[in-house]
Amino acid sequence: MTDHKALRKEIIEKTKEYYQARFANQVFTPGKSRVNYAGRVFDENELTNAVEASLDFWLTEGRFSEQFAEKIAKYLEVEHVLLTNSGSSANLLAFSALTSEKLGDKRLKPGDEVISVAAGFPATVTPILQYGLIPVFVDVDMETYNIDVEMMRKALTPKTRCIFIAHTLGNPFNIDAVMELANEHDLWVIEDNCDSFGSRYKGKYTGTFGHLSTISFYPAHHITTGEGGAIITNDPVLANLVRAFRDWGRDCYCAGGENNTCGKRFSQSFGQLPFGYDHKYVYSEIGYNLKMTDIQAAIGAAQMDKLDRFGERRKENFKSWYSIFEKYPDTFSLPKATEGADPSWFAFIVTINENAGFTRDEFTHHLNANLIETRNLFAGNMTKQPAFVGKDWRIADNLNNTDIIMNNTFFLGTYPGLKPEMFAYAANMIDEFMTSIK
Amino acid sequence: MAIVKKYPAEVVSVINSIEGVYTVEFRSLAKPFRYEPGQFLHLALDAFDPAEQWPESRCFSMQTSPDDDLIRITYAIKGNFTKQMETTLKPGKEITLKMPYGDLFTQQHNKSNSIFIAGGTGITPFLSLFTHSSFALYDKPILYAGFRNQQMNLYAKELSKAKEINAGFKWQMVYEDADGRLNIQDVLDQCGTESTFFISGPPTMIKTFKMFLLQAGVRQNNVLTDDWE
Repeated sequence: MTDHKALRKEIIEKTKEYYQARFANQVFTPGKSRVNYAGRVFDENELTNAVEASLDFWLTEGRFSEQFAEKIAKYLEVEHVLLTNSGSSANLLAFSALTSEKLGDKRLKPGDEVISVAAGFPATVTPILQYGLIPVFVDVDMETYNIDVEMMRKALTPKTRCIFIAHTLGNPFNIDAVMELANEHDLWVIEDNCDSFGSRYKGKYTGTFGHLSTISFYPAHHITTGEGGAIITNDPVLANLVRAFRDWGRDCYCAGGENNTCGKRFSQSFGQLPFGYDHKYVYSEIGYNLKMTDIQAAIGAAQMDKLDRFGERRKENFKSWYSIFEKYPDTFSLPKATEGADPSWFAFIVTINENAGFTRDEFTHHLNANLIETRNLFAGNMTKQPAFVGKDWRIADNLNNTDIIMNNTFFLGTYPGLKPEMFAYAANMIDEFMTSIK
Repeated sequence: MAIVKKYPAEVVSVINSIEGVYTVEFRSLAKPFRYEPGQFLHLALDAFDPAEQWPESRCFSMQTSPDDDLIRITYAIKGNFTKQMETTLKPGKEITLKMPYGDLFTQQHNKSNSIFIAGGTGITPFLSLFTHSSFALYDKPILYAGFRNQQMNLYAKELSKAKEINAGFKWQMVYEDADGRLNIQDVLDQCGTESTFFISGPPTMIKTFKMFLLQAGVRQNNVLTDDWE
């Protein structure tokens, strides 16, 4: 019989060979290859980790999940990292945790107001509506594309209980102002850090300021596990609530394959169940099943080793786009990092000025026709999305800038897979367009 | 209840003050230990392979304050596993600890008229609280602890520290060889049914004492026990 360890070693070596043959040395051909806005960047380590996890065939959360979560915790210097199956699930779970009756009077209840923005991704807002709370949309500023902190202050009412906003495209919002308001009024803060993993604000990583924060590992993000996400907190009570909501709402915290680690499995009272009802099947929250698999986590564990390098490349790529667009100051409004921030840019965001002589769509159609991918700032103005029309939300004062973003703004990628020759090609295509409109 | 994590750890010291009872100190080889007073850990003697199931393990209460760098546990030899601990746990030995578990003091409870009843090494989860700053929040706490003899009371240092943290703290020791067994009727007579009782010790003692207190009219949620199946 063949030794399984020897076979495993052989498989891993072949996987490395496969990586070299299949994925290494990708060549960019101007006009034929795409300049994507995002993409997965990996080497043989992600592939071999994924194969290792497949050969373990543990499948659910296992050794790689622990390793991945530990790496994130160490990187961010936080206590609790809970892995989940997407950034959107992370947002849902972070918000769900705050609705738990275990939080007593502090819990979020239907009818409470939550401050957010409409110029963003719906997954930041949908949990608010799903739990019957009222999103209060505050406008953003046109330099950082983050919440306007003066308008945020004015949006506050006695019903306000939480602030749930994203660091837009890697650019931290004014965390000092948000946390000050939250502390003054005893508000929960959820940082949607899905687009900003590795960004810093005044020397500290984003995602470490709020009561809870979230990360996305979708391939467009700073690191990837395919689908995947994480919830971050330093609060053990919130961590346990997130875990419960993630794992069917169950009270028991035994990991997969474990039983009775608390030693009280059959000797407790819960709800109206008979005394001693099996704790493994006691549900204290209305939960979900949103766990990550060990194969995903294995990829994430390898990606974590590249996060700093990826972040540096994103910053370099941001500068490359900036130098291309700054030649046309009357035409394009370019982004600005929030004061005190060191963004790990998710993207390079651009707004076409009103007097540019062409529309956002004319410009982005030109770029996309030449295989340079662009994206709008996600939902544009969320209040105008079909799913949100007629729903119970409130606009704080006005969303004038959000409307400008909906009509005139787009972004280009900064992902680490971009190469100098891609920027050279894109610069030519942009110059070509600008010459054509004169 | 916090999120359970695995900690690679090393045995720092082993003290065998009396026959069959050992106090072991561990230091973390990775991140600092995180737990709350009154919680317990799982200790495995076999090497932990992350790709495999968690090996056979036993539960032990941390008797140190969560503010301490080291974790201290005390165990008495009672079966094969603890016999194996006696031969295996030597200074320098590397093992894996899984923790924290339990909610003895993290669950809602009244901090006035707190009565702590301990049998033997059952005192250890209480020591974790007594030596932690949060113990100052308890109003006139009293400890009733029973030991087989005075030699088995190895905890004078911790109790002295507890007194520094909470000047209102009192204790009464009962030594079986001189005073007979800890008598729950006596405890109840002294404290009354409106107290909050924490009980830790041998399973039979916990069960008997708890039943007695409930039958005597103490409210169910005022009897908190540190018992494992």
